[in-house]
Amino acid sequence: MTEQQMPFGTDASDGSDASDAVADDDAGGKYVYCIIRHDRVRDFGPVGIGGGRRVYTVHHDDLAAVVSDTPIVIYDPTRENVLAHEFVNETVMREFTVIPMSFGTVFRSEDDVSELLRSTYRAFTDVLDKMQDKIEFGLKVLWDREKVVAKIEQENDEIRRLKDEITRNAASSTYFARMQLGRLVEGAMEEAGNRYVTDIHDALKSVAVASRSNKVIGDRMITNAAFLVDRSREKEFDDVVRDISRKYEDVLTFKYTGPWPPYNFVNIKLKLERAN
Amino acid sequence: MGLLSSILLAPFTGPWSGTMWTLDKVQRSVEEQLIDDTPIKEDLMNLQLALEVGDIDDDEYVRREAEIMQRLREVRDWRERLGKGNAGGPVRVAREREDESE
Repeated sequence: MTEQQMPFGTDASDGSDASDAVADDDAGGKYVYCIIRHDRVRDFGPVGIGGGRRVYTVHHDDLAAVVSDTPIVIYDPTRENVLAHEFVNETVMREFTVIPMSFGTVFRSEDDVSELLRSTYRAFTDVLDKMQDKIEFGLKVLWDREKVVAKIEQENDEIRRLKDEITRNAASSTYFARMQLGRLVEGAMEEAGNRYVTDIHDALKSVAVASRSNKVIGDRMITNAAFLVDRSREKEFDDVVRDISRKYEDVLTFKYTGPWPPYNFVNIKLKLERAN
Repeated sequence: MGLLSSILLAPFTGPWSGTMWTLDKVQRSVEEQLIDDTPIKEDLMNLQLALEVGDIDDDEYVRREAEIMQRLREVRDWRERLGKGNAGGPVRVAREREDESE
């Protein structure tokens, strides 16, 4: 048994009761996509993971888990599977405020799902209240190193002078002069990167409810952020993203995604254990 | 090996138990690598980004995704074998009720 951080992963069991629970071929399990507030049975159509299974709701009081039937398997995080998970959440999000479950969460039976709703009722209710009418946007910003260096050389007199000097006296220019140039450029790049990121975050903070910086991916990314935005300000947020990306279009590439369910702003610790 | 027998047999077992300790440590670090899926997940995120920014095409993505999934499955197998448990298997709410959640 262990605590599950939602929506970051079902990290069930720490070896205490770890026997094999992978293979079972019947479809008695329930794949859970998200939790919503709704007290009537609802069918979202044949859009579920594992080849278009029917997506419907399992209830406890006014809470509902959005599920589809599944064999008891571990789902690989392939693009196909992740997109299926996302598609369901996007569909549900059009009408409801959702608490997204992490990818791959499978319960053994409908009773186990109701039990989840029952035992976590208060936490779900609190979070649903807080997330009412809020959506998430993702923003990854990548820079083009060469263009940033070129820009720095243009703007920074000291670097330009040193570089000219090295180019002019290619034969005689010392190793140390080159080292110094390298250090200066590196320092200026870091400074420029920080300046871009601060400027972008400052601009977006004014139209977002909250923001969060995640670890950058690869060596070209300078920020990997998530923003929680009120639905009523979605258009405004879009406009600010467009303006800021235009401002930096010569050196930066913006990857703007959403709306997503609030993956980065919900952190409910579920006490789950492996079902054997 | 107990403390007492270590002390009693120290002159004789010293180097031997030292070797054992080293082997044990190597074994553990190999196991840690076998069951750690963090670098694999990072590779997957890098791959997705590469596709998004157009560094690779769809065919390349599909091919490399298959490799990554294979590595993930291997880690899962090792976790099962070493009794570590896996993310993503079937779960249920823990039966203890005293502190349900926060």
